[in-house]
Amino acid sequence: MNNFLSALWIETLKMRRSKVPLFTAIGFSIAPLVGGLLMIILKDPEAARSMGLISTKAQMLAGVADWPTYFNVLAQAVAVGGAILFAIITIWVFGREFSDRTAKELLALPTSRETIISAKFVVIALWTFVLSLFIFGLGLVVGKLVVIPGWSMGLLQTSFVDVLGTALLVIAMLPIVAFAASIGRGYMPPFGWTIFTVVMAQVAVITGWGDWFPWSVPALFSGAIGPRAEQLGIHSYVIVILFSIIGLVATYYWWRNADQTR
Amino acid sequence: MNYAIETNGLSKFYGDVFAVNKVNLRVKRGEIYSFLGLNGAGKTTTIRALLGMIRPSEGNVKVLGQALGPGGRGPWARVGHLVESPCAYPDLSVRENLDIARRLHGIRNPKVVDDVMNKLTIASYSNRKAGTLSSGNFQRLGLARALLHNPELLILDEPSNALDPAGIVEIRELLISLAREHETTIFMSSHILTEVNLLADRIGIIHEGSLIEELDAARLEELRSQRLVIDTRDLSKAREALASFEVTTLADGRLATNDPRAIASPELIATLLVNAGAPPIHLAIEQENLEEYFLRLTESNNE
Repeated sequence: MNNFLSALWIETLKMRRSKVPLFTAIGFSIAPLVGGLLMIILKDPEAARSMGLISTKAQMLAGVADWPTYFNVLAQAVAVGGAILFAIITIWVFGREFSDRTAKELLALPTSRETIISAKFVVIALWTFVLSLFIFGLGLVVGKLVVIPGWSMGLLQTSFVDVLGTALLVIAMLPIVAFAASIGRGYMPPFGWTIFTVVMAQVAVITGWGDWFPWSVPALFSGAIGPRAEQLGIHSYVIVILFSIIGLVATYYWWRNADQTR
Repeated sequence: MNYAIETNGLSKFYGDVFAVNKVNLRVKRGEIYSFLGLNGAGKTTTIRALLGMIRPSEGNVKVLGQALGPGGRGPWARVGHLVESPCAYPDLSVRENLDIARRLHGIRNPKVVDDVMNKLTIASYSNRKAGTLSSGNFQRLGLARALLHNPELLILDEPSNALDPAGIVEIRELLISLAREHETTIFMSSHILTEVNLLADRIGIIHEGSLIEELDAARLEELRSQRLVIDTRDLSKAREALASFEVTTLADGRLATNDPRAIASPELIATLLVNAGAPPIHLAIEQENLEEYFLRLTESNNE
């Protein structure tokens, strides 16, 4: 346990000394801010009409100016933006060890490799979850400032489940990214993999196979194309959990057994 | 005998390419063992196998009497290492980098970080980000990490790399003191053969993945060939006078012979030269240096 706490302290130190948390927080803040802007545009039809193209785009993207729509925009932003931003965090946590050539300093130690990898996963999970909470909190502040109709405590609770549930599904797919960063020994291979999965997730949804494709499940859960009960089944969640476990096992196995030649 | 390092038939191959081929190493406790080889000879692959970073294709490795287990398990609390070039987290300070190593070694006392920074004379850079260090100080940081936990065994890949001449002497003295006063076993690879000459108790030479020579430093003295170097003002007369000896002309025009009679009795050569009217202005027995010996050995293995 002491070894794990030490490893966790080390991973948080690396995170604190890096600019990546700041950049990811700023990057993710765009979601509620853009959502708020859409609500402003949609709230005032006269002003919206005078904006021409922007108002048309806003209507296509969001629909009407109310809290349910706004929360739905937030959940979708977490599904799509989170898939990329959370992956960047994962790529940084694992890939930097190869980019800085420090991976070899994590191998022949009294602290086991499994302990170090576990600490990395815990830091990624905490970091991305806190970021999701931050986005939800910022979303509430922006929504209140913009003053949009349709608020209720019941809606707050269901929207909290929507946004955080979407975030958890995105987080569940991160071990595969960690594995890609490990076998790719750096930043570019896992980043390429992430872009590939984001594109394929869209293709799977368009072709009607989204409920079977784990990378599509978070967007479908967020309500991007309709109520999730119509889009997802138990099998969709099972597939996400299965791929999450495969990613974890593969990453641990790789760090334990692969030849470390860099 | 309980060796600090023991390998039995250690081999590593990638497809058809042998990086290391049936290497049997025996490093005694408390000795300084130098591992020599050209680039790509298999030094770093061997070192990585000793540290459990790569799995041998064949054979086994024991470190401090313990066979390396799955997942690179080994007695790492008692081993310090520096593999290839040193590395550190560039956005963390020298102190933070060493504190990370301290925690990963499970050492509770933070004072060890100050001690090792003082030992490696990098205390004045303790708050400097590692990424801004000079290459020499970066090397010292790598060595500090290896020495932090006072290991029984040090496995060092090119420990003098990037150090200035004063730094080389300083690290040499530090390693000698660790071996002689604290009985630390040191296994090091090096390209700086003069360093090896001054440091090593034993030397292993690896060439194209195979350990082609393993010998005590004292034995090396005996094996290094000797030659008598001769210079006179009339080299053609000298060559005639020494016709019964196998004499070669060196690049600088002087003469040299490996003939045992000449090496055993240089005064005989002096007499012959004086009698021939070409008295010597330089007559000295020179011993092949380690570099020349190393090249002779690896070249003969290529033939």
